[in-house]
Amino acid sequence: MNTRGRVIIQVNDLHHTYLSGTPLEVKALKGVTMEIYEGEVVGIIGRTGAGKSTIVQHFNGLIRNRERGRVIVDGHDMADPSLDVRAIRQKVGLVFQHPEQQLFERLVGDDIAFGPKKMGLPPEVRRERVRWAMEMVGLDFEKFKDRFTFSLSGGEMRKVAIAGVLALQPKVLILDESTTGIDPRGRKELLSRMLHLNREHGVTLVFVSSNMDEVASIADRIYVIDDGRTVMHGTAREIFAQPETLRRYGLGVPHVTTVAYRLAQDGIPMPRVPLTVAEAEEDVWKILSS
Amino acid sequence: MSEPIIRVENVSFSYNPLAEKPVFALQDINLEVFPGDYLVIVGHNGSGKSTLAKHFNALLRPTKGDVWVNGMNTKDPKCVLPIRATVGMVFQIPDNQIVATVVEEDVAFGPANLGVPEQELRARVDWALKIVDMDAHRQRAPHLLSSGQKQRVAIAGAMALKPKVLVLDESTSMLDPAGREEVLSAVRTLNKEGTTIVAITHFMHEAVEGNRVIVMEAGRIVAYGSPREVFSNVETLRALHLDVPQVTELAYELHKRDPSFPADLLTIDEVVQEIEGRLEQKEKVGEHSWARYHTGQ
Repeated sequence: MNTRGRVIIQVNDLHHTYLSGTPLEVKALKGVTMEIYEGEVVGIIGRTGAGKSTIVQHFNGLIRNRERGRVIVDGHDMADPSLDVRAIRQKVGLVFQHPEQQLFERLVGDDIAFGPKKMGLPPEVRRERVRWAMEMVGLDFEKFKDRFTFSLSGGEMRKVAIAGVLALQPKVLILDESTTGIDPRGRKELLSRMLHLNREHGVTLVFVSSNMDEVASIADRIYVIDDGRTVMHGTAREIFAQPETLRRYGLGVPHVTTVAYRLAQDGIPMPRVPLTVAEAEEDVWKILSS
Repeated sequence: MSEPIIRVENVSFSYNPLAEKPVFALQDINLEVFPGDYLVIVGHNGSGKSTLAKHFNALLRPTKGDVWVNGMNTKDPKCVLPIRATVGMVFQIPDNQIVATVVEEDVAFGPANLGVPEQELRARVDWALKIVDMDAHRQRAPHLLSSGQKQRVAIAGAMALKPKVLVLDESTSMLDPAGREEVLSAVRTLNKEGTTIVAITHFMHEAVEGNRVIVMEAGRIVAYGSPREVFSNVETLRALHLDVPQVTELAYELHKRDPSFPADLLTIDEVVQEIEGRLEQKEKVGEHSWARYHTGQ
């Protein structure tokens, strides 16, 4: 999405320290600044321990900032002690690294309906929400609603967990390494469903990942975090055009991007920075057949 | 040829063997792993990869058939401890594998329990932490580390036992690209020094690391061979909904456009060389025709 809407999440010079004031104190964030616009897909990348998860946990108030910096979500200052955090959590849904561990109800339908129930929605609205959320993640409503959650496969559990977050109809969906450990097919399916949610329903996606191939194929813009700070930001093509800088931050670029980069270094005029196999194929073919 | 260090003979396994209709997670598996091998197992979620790996150190025992580790049958209760000393394991989620409250104590836990004398214990812990690059964090609390760092601690813990075989069950899935590369290069080093490696992964470019690859589907081995043999069958793998390495996919797509472009390239180097070779060839041809034009031939 290139037409930028309004800023839905604004982060200014955010700092956060875990176990502050103890010998085990760890400074996790030391100055993060970013803007997320309504309707876009933003990738947040960085080596493990860079602070990515700490940042996104500020977006729905799981961590409240009490140090330097500000987080504004949909016009609300997250440091405001009188803030209605529950309202924020309905707007900003967060799916964790192992979403299957987010399940707790016995039946699939109940698990997904938990959020809408807590919101006080009437049963028929809840049912519609559950149906819609299940459709979004690719679970058949009739077939799955009365299944036991523990009898599902890992992939199905993930879908249920994501549906549980979607049932709140959040404006922003944060996926924090939520595709880790799924096989390539499951990952592709999940990504395309999330993109559909973004394109057709306008849900803003924040995508935390250490899988460069994935980020390159999905993100409009990317923020690179290192050692608790924002160190790079730009469009996916701008970011992945800098493999050496990324390497310094413990990251990489998709293998096909490396192929193009190496060819360009050897003096072969490459038309652009390819981000996917399809783009690389097109570019290389152009050169080979010209 | 030397004796296999792991031999899997006609193994079938069911998690509910006594049920009326048992579901078999593994069916008629036959496999030999030789000392020094780097075997990679791929296949999608639920295909039986982890179930098979858990047979390698007697965490699971076959419902039918036998698994032999260094000549010991995993069904023999007396052999369980020596088998686990032979085959070390690192799982996908490090939290399940970390026991101590300080990183270096966690790494020392295994060998300390085997009664390794203090001096050697220290040497092993130092070595293992260095190999996964967690030296600087040795005094920290594991639960405050990031997932990737935790995974490196878990790997160090397994390595400190100096096993003959190291089984890595999707152990790099939580790491960042640099962390993944560090672990892969540590594993490569261990393999060069003689440790037999069995790695389960969803990252197809990691599968290229191995000298042999097996592809699993519905509890059976459906493809087996060198990475090049296995990954050149792009269509077969796609039918199984598996990926091939990105660069192999690129080569394959180019091969479809021009059959003379080889479809079985596995690495970035190979693809770059192939493309550049072709461009040079074209230039030469171009010069020829240019020369011919000018000499009027």
